[in-house]
Amino acid sequence: MRMKLAEKLNDNLSKLKKVLSSDDVTFLDMKVGDTSAVLIFINDLVNKDTLGELVLKPAATVKGKPDFKELFGVFNSPEKKELSTQKDTLEEILSGSAVMIIDSFSTAISFGLKHFEKRAITEPPTSTVIKGPREGFVESLPVNVSLMRRKLKSPDLIFKNLTVGRVSRTPVSICYIRGIADEKLVEKLQKKLDSIDIDAVLDSSYISKFLGEHDISVFKQIGNTEKPDILAAKILEGRVAIFVDGSPIALTVPYILLEDFQSASDYYNSSYSATVARIIRLLSVILALLLPAFFVSSELFHLQLIPLSFLLTIVNSIKGIPLSPSYEMFFTLLIFEILNEASVRMPKYVGMVVSIVGGLVLGETAVNAGIISAPTLMIIALSGICLYTVPELEQTFSVIRILFLIIGGSFGGYGILIVLAMFFVHLITFENYHTPLLAPFSPLVKDDLKDAFYKGFLSEMQSRPESLRNKNKRRIRLMHDKKGD
Amino acid sequence: MQYELKTRQVCLFLIALMPLTKLFLMPSVLAEHANEDMWISALINCALDFVTLICIIRLCRLANTNVFGIIESAFGKVGAKIFFGLYAVYFLLKAVIPLNEQKDFVVYTLYTLMPILMYFLPFFALSFYFCTKNLRAVGRAADVLWFITLTAFAIIIPLSIANIDPAAILPIGANGVVKITSGSYSVLTWFGDAAYFLFFAGEFKYSKGDGKKIILSYLLSAAILILFLLIFYAAFTSIASRQRFALTEISKYTTVINSIGRFDYLGIFMILFSNLFSLTMPMFITSKILNYIFGFSKKWISPLIAVGTQALLMVAFYRFIFGIENFIMQYCGLIFIIFGNVIPIAVSLLYKKEKVYESAQS
Repeated sequence: MRMKLAEKLNDNLSKLKKVLSSDDVTFLDMKVGDTSAVLIFINDLVNKDTLGELVLKPAATVKGKPDFKELFGVFNSPEKKELSTQKDTLEEILSGSAVMIIDSFSTAISFGLKHFEKRAITEPPTSTVIKGPREGFVESLPVNVSLMRRKLKSPDLIFKNLTVGRVSRTPVSICYIRGIADEKLVEKLQKKLDSIDIDAVLDSSYISKFLGEHDISVFKQIGNTEKPDILAAKILEGRVAIFVDGSPIALTVPYILLEDFQSASDYYNSSYSATVARIIRLLSVILALLLPAFFVSSELFHLQLIPLSFLLTIVNSIKGIPLSPSYEMFFTLLIFEILNEASVRMPKYVGMVVSIVGGLVLGETAVNAGIISAPTLMIIALSGICLYTVPELEQTFSVIRILFLIIGGSFGGYGILIVLAMFFVHLITFENYHTPLLAPFSPLVKDDLKDAFYKGFLSEMQSRPESLRNKNKRRIRLMHDKKGD
Repeated sequence: MQYELKTRQVCLFLIALMPLTKLFLMPSVLAEHANEDMWISALINCALDFVTLICIIRLCRLANTNVFGIIESAFGKVGAKIFFGLYAVYFLLKAVIPLNEQKDFVVYTLYTLMPILMYFLPFFALSFYFCTKNLRAVGRAADVLWFITLTAFAIIIPLSIANIDPAAILPIGANGVVKITSGSYSVLTWFGDAAYFLFFAGEFKYSKGDGKKIILSYLLSAAILILFLLIFYAAFTSIASRQRFALTEISKYTTVINSIGRFDYLGIFMILFSNLFSLTMPMFITSKILNYIFGFSKKWISPLIAVGTQALLMVAFYRFIFGIENFIMQYCGLIFIIFGNVIPIAVSLLYKKEKVYESAQS
């Protein structure tokens, strides 16, 4: 199929018909002047009105035997190109173009007349905001590209297109800002994407598995977002984005853990409220991860840590509970995870019922029946809610929470500290694309701390984050800077 | 030259990790020897380390290579291997008391009713994991741990300070030189931290003014320690020597505890967290030394030997550990001074930049 197109129409047709034997492929015989031609396209991928207007009508006006240049000029389609090999011809047809093969010419003409049904641009359910833009990416790559172009009207906004997937032939696009992103990073990503050998890429998450530099890690290695405003901000910081056709989630590289603690709304609200919100998120994550484990370890090993009045409350509440504190907590957490999983998978109207039955009826009945204690239920509920303050890391942290709970129940507080220290060592030494996961805290990058848990004023953030190895450090030029120039 | 550390990380290492191992058993040992002058004993040891550190700063300023290269150019490969072999033994010995006191602390304070070693041995798993990393990991750990350590002190010291009798530390020097120096001598195993800096020399880019930053960091860490000791004695006065673990005892009389529980344990757990890395440092340096001596191709072999040896020592001498502790405190002070202070000072002062440069070129 890498062969060049033949001059004889029948030779080309016989080869293409062998490959494109599906019923939805149309081979439309036609005449272009005195010459025979065939227009090939996949029925549901091509806009037929435009095909008639931009291809068939002009073709009917051709007289005699025109040369190829003359013929090429006849068609008004803005997306037309010459194809010389069978492989290119096939790829164009499969990607939704109409291709005209003309007798006695070894070059075919492709017309970009793709017409896909696509979802409307809506607010992504994973990152809703009270204040700020509400549009989100959709499954169509061209729409996503247009959303980015609308945000950043710069000639330096570059898209590099590739195709990944032996069977799916999924269009993938690398997006970055020339002069800000590190070109070496772009090259490295391009090489990695080129080397992916997989039958199909059905979502961007398929790609992210190949882009991570560490095979085994519970932590995320590639960032992602569904919102154009967030992505624009990320690539303006020097990151590189990857769009995958068919996925509303854009990937970003390099990734640092902190970015999931930063919400889009932080940048649209005041610095004070953003700082408070970020600290709350951090505390929530600490509570979510460690509270169940420390509670169990305190009950089992370190009773002296619990204030006397609270200890009495606990003693009263656990009286008659058949399970040990660690089993009780584990059991409650398991129920919570099951409810969580069920409510995500179920239709929305059933989900409400599950929440009521699971949360209220099951919980209260279990406490009344003496299967679990009220403090345990409260701690799991609090931990579960806290985890959703950073929804991007919910999956990672829920796994770690279970681990901590097991360790806390088996080895107590010191065991928790040791496992925590192991995670700490893992995190401080973890790098992806030469960017430390725990930056800007370890290694400490002083200038980047102004957009860490403390959210500085916009005027303070004059430079791009140093942790990301970007070029063109200056982000904001204040009035007095300009006067200085 | 590729540097593993940054000056900032070296400074933060001092603040984050240096005072920590000295907060458990050492205050009671000092109180036993020097009573209210225990802080002077500690101050003498701090001064000794301070002098050593100043000398090592000179080495850091001049060094073109790390300490392995420096010693190799002076004594040759075999000589260097013997030299560092002795240092490996020193670090193994240096870790014995801090590790054992940590084990006791964990057993007696956190798991009063539980079987013993099982709860402490997982620590060696962490040590092994940390030792497989390079020196950069130490720097990066210091970047975060300083905050945890200082926050812990910010919790513990205000809680403790409300119940002290400042007059208890007076009159200064009443115990006489003999008692004070005997106190200094018996706690030498907890000091000699400047020896770590010998292994940091040449691993970070020394710029003008870095010496001052390092000195100020050391002074801050020493000040925290002395303040802690002063508060400890002022809180317990004559019964200070019976308080085996100063860290848990120092703030337990605060009235806040009655209403909100052992809030000070938040700070104690933070100190314990940072201290995990402080305790691992001797094994970390030992593993780097073993790697230098034997040149293992796999990075996990030397940490396994270093950590495994220490763990075996802990288990094997478990029943005799009090005797060993006493032996180390009474008779090994000279070894700690030689390896912790004298040799680092000598190496630093005798080092000539040109010699190493020529050696490196050859």
